[in-house]
Amino acid sequence: MTVSAPAIAASIAELRARLTLLERAGNAGSSGAPGRRRDCGAGGNDEACALPSGHIALDASLPAGGWPLGALTELLGDATGIGELQLLIPALAQLAHAGRGIVWVAPPYLPYAPALAQRGLLPERLLIIRTTRPQESLWAIEQALRCPAMGAVLGWTAHIVDRSLRRLQLAAEAGGTLGILHRPAAAADEPSPAALRLRLRAAADGLALEVRKARGGRAGARLHLPRSSLARSSLEGRDAVVVHTSAGAGA
Amino acid sequence: MLWLCIRLPALVREAHAASEREALERLAAWAYQWSSLVSYRPGAETADAAGAATGAAEPAPPLLWLELGASRALFGEPAALLARIKRELTRLGYSHACAIAPSPTAAALLTRIEEKRCVQERCVLTRGELRTRLAALPLTWLELPAETLEALRSAGLASIGEVLALPTAALARRFGPQSCQYLARLTAAASDPRPAFRLSESYRARYEFEHELREATGLLFPLQRLLQEFQGYLRARDCAVQRFTLELEHPARTVAVTAPAAAAATAVMIGLSTPARSAAHFLLLARERLQSIALAAPVRALTLRADTFTAPSIMQSDLFGGAAQPLGELSQLLDRLRARLGSESVQGFQCLADHRPERAYRLVAPQTQAAQTAAATPAPSAARPMAARPAALLPQPQRIEAPSTLLHGPERIESGWWDGAGVVRDYYVARAADGVQQWVFHDLTDDAWYLQGLWV
Repeated sequence: MTVSAPAIAASIAELRARLTLLERAGNAGSSGAPGRRRDCGAGGNDEACALPSGHIALDASLPAGGWPLGALTELLGDATGIGELQLLIPALAQLAHAGRGIVWVAPPYLPYAPALAQRGLLPERLLIIRTTRPQESLWAIEQALRCPAMGAVLGWTAHIVDRSLRRLQLAAEAGGTLGILHRPAAAADEPSPAALRLRLRAAADGLALEVRKARGGRAGARLHLPRSSLARSSLEGRDAVVVHTSAGAGA
Repeated sequence: MLWLCIRLPALVREAHAASEREALERLAAWAYQWSSLVSYRPGAETADAAGAATGAAEPAPPLLWLELGASRALFGEPAALLARIKRELTRLGYSHACAIAPSPTAAALLTRIEEKRCVQERCVLTRGELRTRLAALPLTWLELPAETLEALRSAGLASIGEVLALPTAALARRFGPQSCQYLARLTAAASDPRPAFRLSESYRARYEFEHELREATGLLFPLQRLLQEFQGYLRARDCAVQRFTLELEHPARTVAVTAPAAAAATAVMIGLSTPARSAAHFLLLARERLQSIALAAPVRALTLRADTFTAPSIMQSDLFGGAAQPLGELSQLLDRLRARLGSESVQGFQCLADHRPERAYRLVAPQTQAAQTAAATPAPSAARPMAARPAALLPQPQRIEAPSTLLHGPERIESGWWDGAGVVRDYYVARAADGVQQWVFHDLTDDAWYLQGLWV
């Protein structure tokens, strides 16, 4: 039986990423009780709180070890349909199973419930909000972020001023929610109060990621997630733990 | 029995009501939350003989009574409840004087003690204490006919104590049995029945403005007040509402000569996803609604109306907090979103068992979790494994050129011949030039290619 060289390299990379995560959890001194994210948001600045993304390589390059809960994450990119939602699905499914709602505010597409159900996002947890003006979208995103019954809020904005971003960041902190804001690639050079900013590009057979900002960690990491791994990754079979690390531990 | 009396010297003006009776009924409904026996007496203008003939210089103001004896176990010390009721009256904007006594007549009399005196003087709990408290008060406060008071004064009496010391038989002979009965009721020696106010089955409260309002935002302050009173009514009936109406009354445009034209009104219906009785929540929803409407004409009066009420089963949860809390949070969020964006702007999903992709789901009104568990939707996808589906669907399949790069497929879907919307399609996963993965199908009935979904 022969194993191709790229496959071996991929396994080594994954093992290395797992190791990084394990070391980090050990350093933080708390493996975290499963599914606990009580102190996310609400001003818990000294302790970052994250939800594993379901992509080992991505978790390893994020300082908190996953998507920051109770904070705003920006996905910067111009194309729709390059796998930007696939990236989030494992985390969203996790939140939906914990009984929290997933809200789409004025998405450029209609989320397809049967497909999302296939990936573990219970249809009854999904909510779609349509708006007619950008101002209404911002308001709806803020309201949903503030609501502790919601797990994640996905919003789309073309132009947004710094003050509005700050409001959204505060709302996410108050609700302990995962705030995902899709912004055009041109916004990548503007400063932002978001805890995490990822630049997304379509790559050959997959998604290319660049960490533009990660609170409590270093920016600059570049990743390539193949379509095949995007389509199958999930948190099933793994310990569904929320990793707590003190800010800066990963730096 | 123990009575709390509220004297309301400026009731009609402060209630912004059309009549004193309307204002009293509104406040009585609010007061019902603390007592199951509430009674009121209109002011001097419309009062019966007993009130009209007092020797007092100023006209008698309207009075409201609450019987506290029966609800003492619930609300604790009468003095504490007195302080609480005073606080709420101040918040609602009513000037008032309150007193507590074992008889309604005495409580009404004690409200005349100046506000700046110690609260203990106006809070009398036993009959013995009442006699000593009354003894020092001036004779002229008694609600006796003016000539009786004059006769007593000329006989050299000055205080109520001196009148009470007189032999009853002599008093009755000299001034008639009514005076004796009055004194007996005052000292709680005789029973003092009052007509009990009955809570109406539907709620209606009207607030008249001094000036016509042209901005909807100007309605918020009076509305806040109406909702506070409404909350009191809901507490009194121990119920909640899922729907209430605000009527904005406009002045009649045309001055009809023959008959007064009925004023036009704008009705704003406010619905909630779960029954509630929190004034703060109502106000939040009403504000969103009022901000979104443009007033067609100036507003002269605001009426709050509610006709159907429900048992407060769900809102009990806010007493226990904890686990039940997110449910309340969710329905409050849904209410806010619907109030501002319209009810059709917020939707949830339901999966259906149909092979045609565009018929395998349905947009539904979002449900709160309680309703979800009751009507849990079976997930057809879980029962029958199917090929991967894209996470985003186009509203309508879009006609495209035949794609150049097909990654997977075909998956044949042939279904629906029975309902007139039959399809025969071969589905493929295609890759567009910009790296976007598409879900396309080749329609075998018209031999054309369509884009239906995106692998977002």
